[in-house]
Amino acid sequence: MFAMMLVGAVAPAPASASTPTDVVRQVVNEALPVLRDKSKPLPERRRQLRDLLEGHFDFADMARIALGYHWRELSDTQRAEFTKLFTAFIENAYLSKIQDYSGQQVAVQGENSEGQGFARVHSQILQQGKQPLKVDYLLREMNGDWKIYDVTVDAISIIANYRNQFNRVINDQGFDKLMADMRSKQQQLQSSLGS
Amino acid sequence: MGVRSRQCAKRLASLTIAALAATLMLVSTTCAQSAIGADQAAPLKVPGEGSRTPRVVLPGEQGGPYPDPLEPFNQTMFNFNIDVDQWVVTPVAKGYSYVMPEPGRQSVNNFFKNIGVIPRFANNLFQLHVYNAANELGRFGINSTLGVVGLFDVADSWFGMKQHNDDFGLTLGHYGIYSGPYIMLPFLGPSTARDTVGLVVDGLMNPMSWLLPWYVTVPADVGSAAINAVNYRSLHPNQFEEADRYAVDLYGAVQDAYMQTRAAEIKRLAQ
Repeated sequence: MFAMMLVGAVAPAPASASTPTDVVRQVVNEALPVLRDKSKPLPERRRQLRDLLEGHFDFADMARIALGYHWRELSDTQRAEFTKLFTAFIENAYLSKIQDYSGQQVAVQGENSEGQGFARVHSQILQQGKQPLKVDYLLREMNGDWKIYDVTVDAISIIANYRNQFNRVINDQGFDKLMADMRSKQQQLQSSLGS
Repeated sequence: MGVRSRQCAKRLASLTIAALAATLMLVSTTCAQSAIGADQAAPLKVPGEGSRTPRVVLPGEQGGPYPDPLEPFNQTMFNFNIDVDQWVVTPVAKGYSYVMPEPGRQSVNNFFKNIGVIPRFANNLFQLHVYNAANELGRFGINSTLGVVGLFDVADSWFGMKQHNDDFGLTLGHYGIYSGPYIMLPFLGPSTARDTVGLVVDGLMNPMSWLLPWYVTVPADVGSAAINAVNYRSLHPNQFEEADRYAVDLYGAVQDAYMQTRAAEIKRLAQ
């Protein structure tokens, strides 16, 4: 045990200076002003949020987890195709929330470890006259950086929720049908964004 | 109260046994096979297999689909519920919102929560959460008097006494009863075999069902459930549209949201 601690102390410290909580705070602190500032043109605000997401979310991992065991059955081309579509879908789903924003505050409340290299950061969305909404961010350390790979809202994991949907569609109707369904949903979201 | 709750407990002891038996039967007959099937189908991680990046198994990655032996029935009921919501509940809720301002609707919601105290009290007790059970009684006393027959949740807003949701489905889950197959109930929405048994048991806890004949209580229950549903919908006008906007397969999204929520509640009760 003591030897292990020594090894831990001698081994080079990971490159990341930031903790999982810092990462989530940064995302929240950078996103809120963009959501709040209605004077800026919408495409500009969307671009800023998209950049923020791409910096801190690990979409490749999200896509892989969301497919569950079906991931193994896909060719590399199919995987790449799916990851691309899924990324666009999640980004647009998130960006379409811009129009719903009405001054909610976010309280980031600290983290706990979920095993070596994994962490859960707790936060609450505070809304006037309603119960606060519990939102947790699940992060994973990759090359010294903490990346978000799942978000839970009121204890419902978003990626697990999509995995159930994707599993059902693939099992009943196949991967191509899933891609077609997602593409049409993605187009609806895209057109609701109106850009 | 002591005598009454003892009677209540006695009555429920027999119901519990019946419920356990029913659930176990359901589990063993309809579900065991598919559950085992799903477990076996869960992927084994072969190191370095397939992908270029090293295989790291992320938490939650291995979950398969839920066993859903009743899927054809569930799918029909799901479509039925969507139609009821779209063509009956939502239009009525819209008209109702128009005549009843939101604080009033919130009060109606509080009223229904307040009269639902008995199952919350009893199930907290069944799980030996004695403090929460007492808290429910205290909330009922305060909200029924100071809160004007439950129209205002002053126990929460003045005294910080939070409601502790609980039901018999959660009690069964708390004691390790497996959920059984997923069931979409007409009008009532997503459930499981275990939680449907729970609903029936919770319904039997309503003292009105012992005191009045069924032809009075059943229409009264249906009527109040309908009012509650319309009122709830008026307070959550976009809930369904929101879910549909982000779902690729709405049935799967609702199913998973229900299963995850119940699992999280059972986990919370264990703490």
